[in-house]
Amino acid sequence: MKTLKEMITEARQVVPEEGPADLQRRLKSGEPLALIDVRDPDEYRDGHIEAATNISRGFLEFRIAGVVSDPAMPIVLYCQTGLRSVLAAKALKELGYQHVINLVGGYQKWAQSGLPTVREMPLTPDQIQRYSRHFLLAQVGEKGQRRLLRSKVLLIGAGGLGSPTALYLAAAGVGTIGLMDGDVVDVTNLQRQILHTTADIGKPKVESGTRMLKALNPDVNVIPLAGRITVDNVMDTIKDYDLIVDGSDNFETRYLVNDACYLAGKTNVHGSIFQFEGMATVFAPGEGPCYRCLYPTPPPPGLVPS
Amino acid sequence: MLPGVIGTIQATEAVKVLLGIGEPLIGRLLTYDALGMRFREVKLRRDPNCPLCGGSPTIKDLAIHRNGGAACDVASNGGGEAVGASKPVARAGG
Repeated sequence: MKTLKEMITEARQVVPEEGPADLQRRLKSGEPLALIDVRDPDEYRDGHIEAATNISRGFLEFRIAGVVSDPAMPIVLYCQTGLRSVLAAKALKELGYQHVINLVGGYQKWAQSGLPTVREMPLTPDQIQRYSRHFLLAQVGEKGQRRLLRSKVLLIGAGGLGSPTALYLAAAGVGTIGLMDGDVVDVTNLQRQILHTTADIGKPKVESGTRMLKALNPDVNVIPLAGRITVDNVMDTIKDYDLIVDGSDNFETRYLVNDACYLAGKTNVHGSIFQFEGMATVFAPGEGPCYRCLYPTPPPPGLVPS
Repeated sequence: MLPGVIGTIQATEAVKVLLGIGEPLIGRLLTYDALGMRFREVKLRRDPNCPLCGGSPTIKDLAIHRNGGAACDVASNGGGEAVGASKPVARAGG
């Protein structure tokens, strides 16, 4: 009979191993990679590497195909100290997965190296019910929902574009929504700005917007920011958010938001409309063009209604 | 109704970026014509001469946005490759 030690030695002969720094480099490079935490669910909840999917050791062979469809995709496995996962990695190799790597020292060494970890807040029974339809979507699931709940999105403008964006993001359970707008609700807004009601006429849009979003989903932390985004407040405002959605209605603001987001390295989800036409794109610093690549100069004043 | 279409696309893109799923509209401009009821997609390229994100940027802070004027007047260095969308049409209105 083999001893445990012999089994581990045997596994190490066929499974390449990498340390926390190697894994961090792979994660940062954005290369295709499946990171699997093979510990038990309670260990995973207490703290794990954010990108990891939890499939506990006992279910690994049964569930791996649901996470990794391409047997050539690199898979990194980890457990608490790197022993359970090296045996698990050997089992995956035997199943035909070609690039299975074990994280040396496991989660413990990763955390001790000062690399980032996340701890799962248990979802409340209300949240489990509210977001149950998201759990059915493979690309969202409970993990995606937790991520949305941890996310912070800043909406610039609570008007025509900001209204539907805010409503859907709040409904979906984006945890923190900053709502920035300096206007008050006018009766002429109401044929398109569905975040506000007739009773809100004369009130600040961020006030009526906050009330509407909280009524839709009390889970969401709505931060009303009454005022315009300006050169003096933009950097300080966007720094707290993961993502900026520009629903502004003028070129000055669009250039300002574009420049600030680029300089701060924030992704800017851009949208604009005019009469019966609209457009949308995403400006991701370092990954694609920015608003200035698209519009090097603004249109002459007078050509465009403001 | 038009803003509902675009705003909802923005919300969808926001969620995709937050979750790291699908193919966000990075480097692609999606346009919507409500009267014709047509969507079109235009490929966008980075402008190597972009004063902000190009090879030798001239905008390194937000100074040009001060004193309420030149905010958007900085043109690309010009020349070189054609920029971005084939014929972007300026739009405003939120």
